[in-house]
Amino acid sequence: MKELQELARKLLTDGTVGVVIGWEEGPRGIRPYFCTRPEDADKLVFTPRCVHNLATYLSPRRSNVRELGKVAVVVKGCDNKAVAGLVRETQLKREDVVVIGVRCGGVVLDPYGPAELTANTVADRCPGCDVREPHNTDHLVGELPPPPPGEQRTAKLMSELEKSSPDQRWDFWIEQLSKCVRCNACREVCPMCFCERCLADKTQPQWIDSSPHPRGNLAWHLTRAMHQAGRCAGCGECERACPMDIPLMLLNRKVAQVVADSWGYKSSEDPAVAAPIGTFNKDDPQEFIK
Amino acid sequence: MNLYQPHRVEIKEITDETVDTRTLRLEFKDPEVAQSFNFKAGQFGEYSVFGAGESTFCIASSPTRQGYIECSFKAVGKVTKMMRSLGVGDTMGFRGPYGNAFPLDKMAGHNVVFIAGGIGLAPVRCVIWNVLDQRERFKDVTIIYGARSVGDLVYKRELEEWAKRSDVKLWQTVDPGGETPEWKGEIGFVPTIVEKAAPSPADSFAVICGPPIMIKFTMPVLTKLGFPNERIYTTLENRMKCGIGKCGRCNVGSVYVCKDGPVFNAAQLAELPPEY
Amino acid sequence: MTVKTLTTENLSHLAAALLADGTEVIAPVKDSSGKVDYRAVKQAAELALGEALPRKSLKEFFLPQTECLFYFKQVKNDVELTPVPTTFGPRIVLGAKPCDAAAVDILDRVFDWDYHDELWFGRRQATTIVTLACPMVDEFCFCTAVDIEPATRQGADMVIVPVAGGYHVETVTEKGEALVTKYAKYFSDGGKQAEADTFRAEAKAKVEKNLGINTKDVRAWLETHFEDGLWHELAWRCHGCGACAAVCPTCHCFDIVDESEGVNQGTRRRNWDTCQAGKFTLHASGHNPRGEQCNRCRQRVSHKFMIYPERFGVLLCTGCGRCVRACPGGMVLPEVLRRVNAAAQAAKTEPVTEGVGQ
Repeated sequence: MKELQELARKLLTDGTVGVVIGWEEGPRGIRPYFCTRPEDADKLVFTPRCVHNLATYLSPRRSNVRELGKVAVVVKGCDNKAVAGLVRETQLKREDVVVIGVRCGGVVLDPYGPAELTANTVADRCPGCDVREPHNTDHLVGELPPPPPGEQRTAKLMSELEKSSPDQRWDFWIEQLSKCVRCNACREVCPMCFCERCLADKTQPQWIDSSPHPRGNLAWHLTRAMHQAGRCAGCGECERACPMDIPLMLLNRKVAQVVADSWGYKSSEDPAVAAPIGTFNKDDPQEFIK
Repeated sequence: MNLYQPHRVEIKEITDETVDTRTLRLEFKDPEVAQSFNFKAGQFGEYSVFGAGESTFCIASSPTRQGYIECSFKAVGKVTKMMRSLGVGDTMGFRGPYGNAFPLDKMAGHNVVFIAGGIGLAPVRCVIWNVLDQRERFKDVTIIYGARSVGDLVYKRELEEWAKRSDVKLWQTVDPGGETPEWKGEIGFVPTIVEKAAPSPADSFAVICGPPIMIKFTMPVLTKLGFPNERIYTTLENRMKCGIGKCGRCNVGSVYVCKDGPVFNAAQLAELPPEY
Repeated sequence: MTVKTLTTENLSHLAAALLADGTEVIAPVKDSSGKVDYRAVKQAAELALGEALPRKSLKEFFLPQTECLFYFKQVKNDVELTPVPTTFGPRIVLGAKPCDAAAVDILDRVFDWDYHDELWFGRRQATTIVTLACPMVDEFCFCTAVDIEPATRQGADMVIVPVAGGYHVETVTEKGEALVTKYAKYFSDGGKQAEADTFRAEAKAKVEKNLGINTKDVRAWLETHFEDGLWHELAWRCHGCGACAAVCPTCHCFDIVDESEGVNQGTRRRNWDTCQAGKFTLHASGHNPRGEQCNRCRQRVSHKFMIYPERFGVLLCTGCGRCVRACPGGMVLPEVLRRVNAAAQAAKTEPVTEGVGQ
């Protein structure tokens, strides 16, 4: 995409940034690209295979990326919510990053698969997207394509589960979470999992069993979902990264729905919009105190 | 029973060497194991606190003294903190001996210079005992040991014993500011005292262990004195779990600390990449 | 070596017979979303041989993701230890991908390195592996670049090769012989050698197009490039997430932890772990020899292509390509190997002081 490439070239040549994090056509398909030289700006692309949430590279845990200098990051609207999340939680100063928004009509789930955007290939977060034109960015590139096809599979599965009994839900989750091997890919790719020392890694005491049996896995995933409550940007990278195909977004979306119902909050591209985890209003619902 | 299942050992004696360093004397509960257990100076074991996990320590006692094994430790992490809460009569586990040993057969007939700092005396102590228990096999024995302060010196009983022996030249030192009014030993960092002691490299081996910074500044002194790298031995530590080369954790380049070590000479160390 | 033919129908009957005889049958099985994985089947109809790459490898059947090493129970100030079994019921893997079977054989070496791992070998002994010479080659595969090929017999007790109407069968070990003897009624004499050989040659040619490297040169380069810009470059995109290790047939690094299972009792467990995790080499003191992602990226590549071959004479990689498919950050191991290989070749013609990285 010429507009993006020109912009990147300029930012690098001016010395405004030390690296532009975008996407490139790698040996097998689209993948993140760290463009540090103006002459490499031509490698930056934006296609429907650009599913990766590059905001995760802004995490304070990635000191090796920060060493490259000031960062410019290319984001879709969904990714931008994660950038806002990092700023909102003071992990990133807004002025320390150059946000390049890209207008988006949806992406496919598999960056190495077919590039054609259909109801079957589309990433689950895309159908119904309301941030196809990102806000609060420093630059905005690209033409606005038509909206993404298909329906959210997760939403469908969620409503099915909501109709089932607690026993049935338990069986469902034990079956799904038995697949987990605690590789922690979900945590490592998540932009909002930026804790230097994760609760699950603490050994004194061992709050969460590290072994990948259903008991330990349940504790881990439920804890992570709770720690993401009101913070999760909904990008779905955790589910995409999971090598065992566990439907993690089911958990995250459910929690997000509870947060929306209770506090009227949905993940926002605007860091100034306060998240419920960090704010208190006198008229907050208090059914739990009777 | 599989190879990851430890032998049970009972804590027979507890000695608090310093305010934070403790030595445990352990005996095997199974009489057959107690009878047949043997090891070489320098080897390590995986010591279990059932419920907390395992921790890696060298066997701090000498194979010349049968019937028990010892370990000295500081409470730093989960397992060692639990170890401090155990008392005489409590049960622990032991897997080992693992790793290689100090080359005592090579050192026999030569002078041996032991240099240690702080808790680094623990792995060296097993060799010192081994050498002193077979004193006639070795020529001159020099021990240079230092710690931050008098309170931090470990194995104080043994230091007294070694000081009294006429066939051992013992230098004890504390860091400047670490002395007490009664202190009769040297005052100075270990590398400085090594220079002062100036052990002769002729026909000599050196065994050195201590905090990385002590090793960093003592090695050049030994080199200056003329000790060749092949005759300076030390023992490495690295994060371990299985202790038997399978879990993939303790390697430094292609060298496995649990299999090729933990005892290495300075020439081998020089070949290692900076990964420990 | 005995050569036989097995019709597709008889493969199904064979599986049913094995199940009826109490043998656990592990085979590629398709789930409702069309994804294939190795699973213990309950009926022969579940078999889905040669349809797609099984998502995970055979590793979990020999090294479970979590495994109890022994039980402990506090009784006053003594501790009772209860061992776990090291013998297992008979199992057969029907339709192993050749790279997955080879991986099991490759791992035998580390699990037998001076100390014989009874848990690993107990499962190995109980298991017969029937390899399906590979109809699933795609652009992610690179087995021929790492000293394997789609026709490899490594790790197999018996090999079956797709031919018209079924399979050409070749026994490799005594276990394979025992299988065709015990279940002789499902096998017919005489194989379809020519057809099988053609199939194997075609599969090999397909993979060879994907990557060609000199693994000895790659190893030599790794031995001398502990520091290199390449590791830093890989570390930008790498999340340190361990998805690669989870799906890899040869990654075997593990953790050992104690867990309570009630008051005063518990188990010691062996769990899958990965050198890509930040705390893999973290000392209690806080010191971490591989504290940065660049070091961890280097460790993974070096363990597979330098350290393991140095210690055991074989590579710790079978070219299955799962790491490439699984990586959320776009790491492509064949690309890394190609770059290292190119640098290694260039260094042979002219001494190059520059590294591979940017």
